[in-house]
Amino acid sequence: MSAIPADPNVTAVSATPRTETNYLNADWSIKSWLLTGDHKRIAILYLVSVSFFFFLGSIAAGLIRYELTAPAGFILESETYNKVFSAHGIIMVFLFLIVAIPAILGNFLLPLMIGARDMAFPRLNLLSWYLFMAGGILIMGGMINGGVDSGWTFYVPYSSMYANSNVTMVLTGIFIAGFSSITTGINFIVTTHKMRAPGMTWFRLPLMVWALYATGVVIILGTPVVAVTLLCIIFERVFHLPIFSAELGGDPVLFQHLFWFYSHPAVYIMILPAFGVQSELIANFARKRVFGYHLIAFSSLAIAGLGFLVWGHHMFISSESMYQGVVFSLISFLVAIPSAIKVFNWTATLYKGNIRLQTPMIYALGFIGLFTIGGLTGLFLGCLGTDVHLTNTYFIVAHFHYVMVGGAVTAFLGGLHYWWPKMTGRLYPESIAKWNAVLVFIGFNLTFFPQFIVGFMGMPRRYHYYYFAPEFQPYHIMSTLGSTVLALSFIIPGLYLTRSLSKGAKASANPWGAHGLEWETSSPPPTSNFDQIPVVLDEVYDFDPVTEHEQDKAAQALEVPSYLSNEAKSAESEKEKR
Amino acid sequence: MAAIASDHGHGHGHDEALHHQFENMEQQNDSYIVGMWTFLVTEVMFFGALFLIYTLYRSMYQMDFFLAHEALNVQMGMINTFVLLFSSFTVAMSVRYAQLQKRGGVLAMLGITQVCALAFMVVKYFEYQEKFGHHLYPGPGFGSHPEYLHGATPNFAQLYFGLYFGMTGLHGLHVVIGMIVIGYLMAKWWRNSPMVTKDYIPTELVGLYWHFVDLVWIFLFPLMYLMPKP
Amino acid sequence: MASTPLSSDSKHGGHSHVQPVWLLLGNMLWLMVLLIITWWASTFDFGNVVINNVVAMLIATIKAVFVIWIFMGVMHASKLAKIWVVAGFGFLFLMFGILGDYATRQFEPVSGWETNVPNGGASSFPRQWPPQKKPEQVGENFRPRG
Repeated sequence: MSAIPADPNVTAVSATPRTETNYLNADWSIKSWLLTGDHKRIAILYLVSVSFFFFLGSIAAGLIRYELTAPAGFILESETYNKVFSAHGIIMVFLFLIVAIPAILGNFLLPLMIGARDMAFPRLNLLSWYLFMAGGILIMGGMINGGVDSGWTFYVPYSSMYANSNVTMVLTGIFIAGFSSITTGINFIVTTHKMRAPGMTWFRLPLMVWALYATGVVIILGTPVVAVTLLCIIFERVFHLPIFSAELGGDPVLFQHLFWFYSHPAVYIMILPAFGVQSELIANFARKRVFGYHLIAFSSLAIAGLGFLVWGHHMFISSESMYQGVVFSLISFLVAIPSAIKVFNWTATLYKGNIRLQTPMIYALGFIGLFTIGGLTGLFLGCLGTDVHLTNTYFIVAHFHYVMVGGAVTAFLGGLHYWWPKMTGRLYPESIAKWNAVLVFIGFNLTFFPQFIVGFMGMPRRYHYYYFAPEFQPYHIMSTLGSTVLALSFIIPGLYLTRSLSKGAKASANPWGAHGLEWETSSPPPTSNFDQIPVVLDEVYDFDPVTEHEQDKAAQALEVPSYLSNEAKSAESEKEKR
Repeated sequence: MAAIASDHGHGHGHDEALHHQFENMEQQNDSYIVGMWTFLVTEVMFFGALFLIYTLYRSMYQMDFFLAHEALNVQMGMINTFVLLFSSFTVAMSVRYAQLQKRGGVLAMLGITQVCALAFMVVKYFEYQEKFGHHLYPGPGFGSHPEYLHGATPNFAQLYFGLYFGMTGLHGLHVVIGMIVIGYLMAKWWRNSPMVTKDYIPTELVGLYWHFVDLVWIFLFPLMYLMPKP
Repeated sequence: MASTPLSSDSKHGGHSHVQPVWLLLGNMLWLMVLLIITWWASTFDFGNVVINNVVAMLIATIKAVFVIWIFMGVMHASKLAKIWVVAGFGFLFLMFGILGDYATRQFEPVSGWETNVPNGGASSFPRQWPPQKKPEQVGENFRPRG
């Protein structure tokens, strides 16, 4: 099908000459890394620290899985188990998912994609990393120094009154990490508004930028609310200010309202950038303009907006008013529309595309399937009646892992592979990476699909034993088996990507033959990104015809009847390109 | 993508106040203003959540909140509101002087603002001291002198004072942060740093922050001190 | 919407509008007057408690608008800044939709269920809004901590 060589080493598009100094080798001192304002270096700092936290969170996940292979548990005590699943949730949500794609890929790509020298506020960007690290160290400190057992949701009154674990310290860490998120969001918004290169109009922006912009909006509107809500628990624990205390007449359900007012949009902070990565991957590996560019762009904003109107679907069984429950259920179903628009448009983009099954594309195709399952099972949970049965079971665990791991982590890995040559200037080994992408897909499904079944049968989440129902054991064993495969498939990229830093072949400026401003500059880019600020003259995803098929098509487009004027000719060819 | 080199002359070294990532001063100033407004939106949501909690509890326990609020000193609240509104004016004036590049005017106006902020915190200190003295701080000893509760149910009065200390405390923290930032800005002006003298935007940003602090108090004052009798 | 930041060089000094002293001074004096009105309104009964509260919040909102419009310079600010102001407060009101939960809880379909709760209705949080009955003040009802 494809005439383009599968080996990314051989590039079809002529590369701009490599400049000798780039952002990586401009200065080798540690000080230059720790005090850098360069968005690319900050992205690398984030990559290292977030990978470390992901490793810790994965260990916690492994402990949970191995504990559950026996109906009565066999590694952990109940209390330890509570601390382990809380650690898994807190680390993965606050220190991995919320930061992974925006702060690593987003930070690296946003200025490159819009043709800017840097983010609008480089020092704020660096501050964001330091806040993240401070928050991360506090959270880890709290976990090492006694742990926290309230789950990542910190529901009151347990977290504010009864938990004797290190809730205050961990909450302080999350509070600080929240400000790291806010500063990143502010930077994204201002950069997108004010730093675009000449000619880079809103509808020439890559869809990744649209997604990052929508993410920024969600971050700045949601994060402060959860920050102050968690601060109220800190107030209650440290200063005895009774904000949510039920015994004095306060309302613990109000905490849930405020918590989910952020934490539901937070899942869009995690998945929206993944949508952006996905759009880039699909367009570039189908070598076609994304079908329905405007719809995908606006559906990102629609998801960001609607995401703020559905928080109550986490509280159907939390004594919420049934009338508000009905409204929230309806609006939750509405979120399916923009999500489906994206999935259908990606699929339509594949149609008659010039598909190359390289590693990022395998991840992208996996994403479509896994995200669809995750999204559709979300409808089960958004429905008032079925939710009563399914909520707080493993069904819900499987649902959000399909969206978060099958969606966000898969897209993150795909994006990391796709932009790895740009970030490091080295190529990763393609064949092993391909097999690993398949392994991720297999391991993931083996881990989480049995959880749908066992959850539907009634296995409650957050339980560390199920001796009351030993028939669940085969599913748990299958899930643990899958998680082992999944863990292996996360370790392998860590190894070969690290190895490629020194042993990998040098990458050209545009190893994929892709189209976009980030591929115009050398790999890795110089510190100021572009030698001169580019002027954007054409549409995004306007791929140069490379293969014979594409060239034929382009030639046909130019063959217009002679009775048409020159103007009509150019308009016609413009139309054909789209 | 047919990207050709921009013919824009890049302003490196032309303007001391221009950062490397921007093309010109206008882009830089626009970015800073937009960034500050974005930050203020987060602040609105930050305090907004607290106002929401307050609204719910007050609508639930109207009479008790009313009775508990009688323990507050309206005169002190009025003085503080006057002081903050006046300081908002002086900050606006300092921005005006910064635009006109009048260093003396800026320093004088920011100095008055600092005095106002200090006065606000001193009044706040006396208020807090009085409440602590009357055992109105939530916790084990709360309401041990029931005459200061003015007949409110102790539990609900505790909720009220919890919110009172939480909200005014966070607002006070913002005032202190404002004082530090204004102090830093004054030092910059004092040393004739080109960062502020060549460009009024830093002064403007500090001004926006200070106005926001004033804005929060504009809502806090009637909600906490001036409740109508239910 | 499609204009890029660099192409709009012509609009110079749009936001660096210098405000006249009389405007700032007048605004401050007007805010002081509004402050006095706030205090007066709190002592005056407009009819019932809802109207009283609405009046108090209305005056505070007017004050806020004058601070935002004149002191914060939104009057001369870019369109984007105006959008942010509106969006910020708009989302704040959206969040106040949380109160809709409490306002509709009493309209449950089965009448009388809210009184038939375990523990003789001493549930810490009242289902009726506003609550009809206050929980008894008892010794152990104080916070156990400390």
